Amino acid sequence: MTRSIISLLLRAFVVLTGTALATFTLLWNAPGDPATAIAMARYDSLLTEDVIAQVRAEVGLDAGFWPAFKGWIVPLLSGDFGYSSVTGRPVWPDLVSAISYTIPTAFAGLAIGLSLAIPLAIIATRHPGSWLDRFAVAIASLGAAIPAFWLGLLLILLFAVKLAWLPAMGARTPAHVILPALTLGLGVAAALTRIIRSGILEARQQPFLPAFTRRGVSARDLGRAHVAPHAAIPVITVLGLELAFLLEGIVMVEVIFSRPGLGSFLVNAIGARDFPKVQAVVVITALLFVVINLAIDVIYRLIDPRIGTQDA
Amino acid sequence: MTLTVSGLSAERSGRIILHPTDLSIKPGARIGLVGASGSGKSTLGHALVDALREQKARVAHVPQSPDEALDPLRGMAFHWREAERALGLPHDADHQQALFRALKIETGDLRKRPWGWSRGMQQRFVIAMALIGAPDVLVMDEPTSALDPVVAARTMVLLEDYLSIRKTAMVLITHDLGLAAQWVTRLMVLDAGRLVEDRPTTEVLNAPQSVVAKSLCTHRNWLELPC
Amino acid sequence: MLELQNVSVKYGKVQILTGISVSLPAGQTLAVVGESGAGKSTLIAAILGLVKLADGHITWVDAPVNTCRPSLVMQEPRAAFNPVLPLRRSIMEPLRARGETIADTRLAQLCARLELPLDLLERKPGEVSIGQAQRAGILRGLIAGSPLILFDEPLSALDAVTQKHTAQLIADLQRDLGFAALIVTHDLGYAAAYSDEIAVLRKGRIEEITPTPAFVQNPQSQYGHELREAAFDLGALGYVA
Repeated sequence: MTRSIISLLLRAFVVLTGTALATFTLLWNAPGDPATAIAMARYDSLLTEDVIAQVRAEVGLDAGFWPAFKGWIVPLLSGDFGYSSVTGRPVWPDLVSAISYTIPTAFAGLAIGLSLAIPLAIIATRHPGSWLDRFAVAIASLGAAIPAFWLGLLLILLFAVKLAWLPAMGARTPAHVILPALTLGLGVAAALTRIIRSGILEARQQPFLPAFTRRGVSARDLGRAHVAPHAAIPVITVLGLELAFLLEGIVMVEVIFSRPGLGSFLVNAIGARDFPKVQAVVVITALLFVVINLAIDVIYRLIDPRIGTQDA
Repeated sequence: MTLTVSGLSAERSGRIILHPTDLSIKPGARIGLVGASGSGKSTLGHALVDALREQKARVAHVPQSPDEALDPLRGMAFHWREAERALGLPHDADHQQALFRALKIETGDLRKRPWGWSRGMQQRFVIAMALIGAPDVLVMDEPTSALDPVVAARTMVLLEDYLSIRKTAMVLITHDLGLAAQWVTRLMVLDAGRLVEDRPTTEVLNAPQSVVAKSLCTHRNWLELPC
Repeated sequence: MLELQNVSVKYGKVQILTGISVSLPAGQTLAVVGESGAGKSTLIAAILGLVKLADGHITWVDAPVNTCRPSLVMQEPRAAFNPVLPLRRSIMEPLRARGETIADTRLAQLCARLELPLDLLERKPGEVSIGQAQRAGILRGLIAGSPLILFDEPLSALDAVTQKHTAQLIADLQRDLGFAALIVTHDLGYAAAYSDEIAVLRKGRIEEITPTPAFVQNPQSQYGHELREAAFDLGALGYVA
């Protein structure tokens, strides 16, 4: 067990280092002169060669690739994300504030997705092939086909404009999280319903189940104690991927609903060529991925200890 | 009390795999269901157990392989408790230990999951579990095929002792007439989903009537030694 | 003659086989019996050169054993074949690997001996019975004409009647083709009926090697005795009155 934890951590380390290096390389080699862009963002019209050269030196772009990379990565190892190359303010407080908006949206979206998908899948699998089942699958397919930006606009139109029940733009009150979370959640629910449904149907094919029925175990207990855990394994795998899609979708949703989260933070930073901010978002996202995957690995091992053990 | 079931049949995708079959089981009977693979003997075993369960008779079934009897995600203790609960019994650690001792699996770690045990021990655990409710009939489908011969033979001896004290009937499903002849007094021979012979073991061995029974008898043992 | 001298195999720190010394003369049959986990499959892997020996050597007529290119008949007939290819392709694999072919008449002969209709070879493994699949597996073992054929539980997937029938087919072919057979089995009945010598393997060691008629009467080792008793209890061996 200790050995597998060490190997998991080692893998996480490699992923994070690779991501940091790849991002830095990409940004470094991106077309256009970053110093000019920064100077433009900072000083608007005062664009002399001197100013651009001064910016270049100040931001550390004149030192060459490796010194610049080192200048970024070494402080990062101790948790220092550096300073915005546009405003000169530290990146970290802004980043924290952005995350504090994004996390609730993400979790609310996931919660809505799961609380819709699980009951829907269970109802659908009660009579596989029935009209109810086919209806649920159709709804789920439709939901998966609708892009988040369109669904978001639809929801704004209905709940904010027509009915005026919910606020749409910004993040002033807790109620502001509802529509973005709903947009995310409906997408998640659509994908998960089909996966949970097929997970349950597949779990019901396990060869040992008839023996439990002959032993007198009730259908209810059979479902809870034996079908559910087997159905959960593929669902957990997909849940990890689903969280990744969620992060992707959140950028779109935050822009649509003008929420000041990680997505808006990233879009603004890219627009302003604010390298330290962009890099910070990428590193944080990669870290999040690694943590999610670690958590999924651990949950796997709890449900099915055959995974990752050699004596299986 | 003699248990009787009639008209057991089964079909799969429109094809009849078991023609209507009647069966009666006296207390403490030793019945062998023999036939080639695909003759419908496992199907008859399942139909028999399901029919007896419907009559509220106390019947237990041991499938061919432990993979068909145990959930790999659940611990052995869980399986045991669940089987007790299914029979409406409270947990009885002494009874459990007695059954484990009878089948020589008392060294097994109940916290482990099935795959933490050897296949032989898993199979004997499943047999022990079948005995929890002191059934009147124990239906065993190829109980020895998952076991090493020495363990298989020992298990059959221990089981026979245990069952004969309690007057429990045993239905042994096997393709191996040599095995059946050793342990049962009445043979039911199946061929293509039909019961073709149902007579005392010695009669079948001495004068098989059907083609299948004749073939089974010719190929009964590998080698016969003088007494 | 196959000869194993003081063969030991380790997986990591675990000793799987310890000091195995046996010999199998050309054309003869050696049965290796023992419980699961005794090292029977590792013994076969060692002869096929699939595992590294920690000690000892394996020879065929004083040359390394791979010079005689032993072939293998596996336990699970269906799993032993590529499920999407017709049987013929898999059966011919040992020949193709050596760039050889087989005369049609010769193939037809072997098929006839194994009671395999020629057109059956065009089917996929899932489309034949398990007995046919195992006979196809035996055909693959024979096709390259190897003087040494290893059988890993060749009958355990078959039912009792098919087992005895298939065993007789193997024995008849062996008499005519003259290959040496090393048969790994847990079934003492099969070993007793069809081998010249029986080796008892237990916990990676040979407990005894005894000529079969003598073993059936009176095994030398304690475990040999237990196996013999079990074979009677399970009806593999019987008494005639």
